Amino acid sequence: MTTPGAPDLSTHLGGIQLRNPVLTASGTFGYGTEFAPFMDLRRIGGFVAKSLTLEPRHGNPPPRIVETPAGMLNAISLENVGVNAFVEEKLPEIPEGVPVIASVFGTEIELYAEVCKRLMGAPKVVGIEVNASCPHVQSGGIEFGQNPAVLARLVRTVRRAISLPLLVKLSPNVTDIAEMARVCEGEGADGISAINTLQALVVDVETRRPSLSNGLGGLSGPAIRPVALRMVWQCARAVEIPVCGIGGICSAEDAIQFLLCGAAAVQIGTANFLNPMAAAEVVEGIEGYCTRHGVERVSDLVGAVDFPGR
Amino acid sequence: MAKPLRVDSEVISNAAEGGVSRRLVLRIEQGWPEAQPGQFLMLSPGARGRVERYDPLLPRPMAIFRTRRMGGEAAVEVLYKVVGRGTALLADARPGERVRLVGPLGRGFPEVSPGERVILVGGGTGVASLFDLARRSSKRARVVVLLGARTAADLMGRADFEGLDVDLQVATDDGSEGATGFVTELLEREIARGDTARVYACGPTPMMRRAAEITGTAGLPCLVSLENRMACGFGVCLGCAVPRADQGYHLVCQEGPVFESGDLSWEGLP
Repeated sequence: MTTPGAPDLSTHLGGIQLRNPVLTASGTFGYGTEFAPFMDLRRIGGFVAKSLTLEPRHGNPPPRIVETPAGMLNAISLENVGVNAFVEEKLPEIPEGVPVIASVFGTEIELYAEVCKRLMGAPKVVGIEVNASCPHVQSGGIEFGQNPAVLARLVRTVRRAISLPLLVKLSPNVTDIAEMARVCEGEGADGISAINTLQALVVDVETRRPSLSNGLGGLSGPAIRPVALRMVWQCARAVEIPVCGIGGICSAEDAIQFLLCGAAAVQIGTANFLNPMAAAEVVEGIEGYCTRHGVERVSDLVGAVDFPGR
Repeated sequence: MAKPLRVDSEVISNAAEGGVSRRLVLRIEQGWPEAQPGQFLMLSPGARGRVERYDPLLPRPMAIFRTRRMGGEAAVEVLYKVVGRGTALLADARPGERVRLVGPLGRGFPEVSPGERVILVGGGTGVASLFDLARRSSKRARVVVLLGARTAADLMGRADFEGLDVDLQVATDDGSEGATGFVTELLEREIARGDTARVYACGPTPMMRRAAEITGTAGLPCLVSLENRMACGFGVCLGCAVPRADQGYHLVCQEGPVFESGDLSWEGLP
C-alpha cells in the first residue's frame, strides 16, 4: 500500500517480490525475532536468516570476534540450530508478512541440496541464498566460492533440488568476482548476493597469537564498504540476473550507492549489531532520498551511476 | 522480561571518583523499563552528537550500577574504568552530550529470598554488577559484601556499598586497603563461619573460578556474572559464546550474563 505521491520502493530480486529493497544479511539478524523489541519487522523488505546446516552446529570456541578500525572480524563458524529446528521452531515465531530468505551451508554439495529440499514448502520462505563463501570453516565454504568449477557444480546441484528463487552469495576472496557471478548465472541462479566477509587477520602483540581462536576471521563493517561497492558494480555489469549488494552498509546514503552501482536490493549486516533499528532507518532514508530527488520508483536508481568513460 | 530500548541518552555527569573509577550518569527521558539487578547496557562511545562515527565500531557492554526514577525519567548509572579506546572516548563525554545505548539486556540475578544469607563477591570492575543486587537484597536478607581489587586505587564503588545495610569487607592484593590478599580468601573465611549462604560473584575470570571452586567444595550454590566481548548484546552476533559444562556454548548476552557456576566449563572461559 503506497500513499499517493510517495515513491514506489518495491523491487524484484530474482523472482522474489519485495516491498522495499532493504534486507538484512545472514548471520547478523538471528532468526528475526531478536529484533522484534526494536522494530516492526514488516518495515523492512525481508531478512536472510542465519545459515542453516543439516545438523545443528556449536561453532568455534571463544574469542570469536575482535574489533578493527571501522569494522570487526568474526569466526563464529556457522553456529546454527539446524534446518529441522529452523522449520519447526523458528519459522512459526516470525510474524506473518515478513519474507524470509533461508541461507544454506554444507560441507559437501549434496548436503547443501538436502538442506534446500527440507526448506521447500516451508511457510514464509520466499527464497534460498546459498552461502558459497564463508571464509572461516576449514572443511568447506571457501572452496565452493573460490573455484569456478566447484561453484558451478554447487549451483547446478542446488538448482536441480529446488524450485524456489535461488540466490548465490559470493566470496570476495577471489581474483575476479565477475567471473564467479557469470558462473552462477550460467548454472541457473536467479540472483547474486555480494559480498561476504573478507578473509582477515588480527594478531595480539602481547601474546603473539591471533586474536581469534580460529586464527583467521571474516572482516565486515564500514571498513569493507568501498571494496564491496566495487565488486557489486563489477558483478552487476557482468550478469543480467539481479545483484543484492552487501558490505558495510550503515545508512541510506550507503545503500543508495549500491543501488546506483547496479544492486537491485541491499542487505544490512554488521550495522544491525550496533543499531538494531538500522535496517528500518535505511528504508526511511531511501524513501526520503527518493522524495527529495523526485525519484518515483526506487528501481529507477538501480544502475543509474554516471560513470565517466563507461 | 522487560523489552529493551534503543535510545540516545543525555549525559548528566561523567566524572572521575578517585583512583581508576569513573561514574557516568545518563538521563533517559521516557520508557526506561525496570531493570533487574545484574542486567547490562550496550553503550556506543563513538556515536555522540549529530555526527555518526564508526571507529570504534562496536558498543561496549556495561553493567547497570543503579537506576533512579524521576517521574517518567530514569537516571541510569554506570561505573567504569578506562581500559581501552572505547572507554577512553566514553570518558570524554561531557554533560549535555548524547550517548547511544541499548538496554536493559540479559538475564540478571534471581531475587534473594527473605531472611536468606547471601555473600556478594566483587573484583575490579565486577563490583558494578553487584551494587543493585546488594541494595535491593539488604532490605530483606542478610547480605555480606566482599570487595576486592589490586590496590586501593583500583577499588570501585566502596562508598556506595558503605551506604547500605550490609556487612562490608575489603581486600586488596597489596594490602593498601582492607585485608591483604585475594577477595576469595575473605570468601573462604565467611563460608567457614558455617552459616549456609548463596554466593554471587562478578569479577575477573580467575576470581570467579576460585569462588566456584570454594563454593563447590562447601556445597553452596554460586551464581557468577560474566563479562565478555560482544558486538550486539541481544543474541545475534554470537560473539560472546562461552563453553557450557556439558557441550556447546552459552551466549553471555542472552542466557547470561548470570550463570550457575556449575553450568560453565571454566577451563574454556576467555
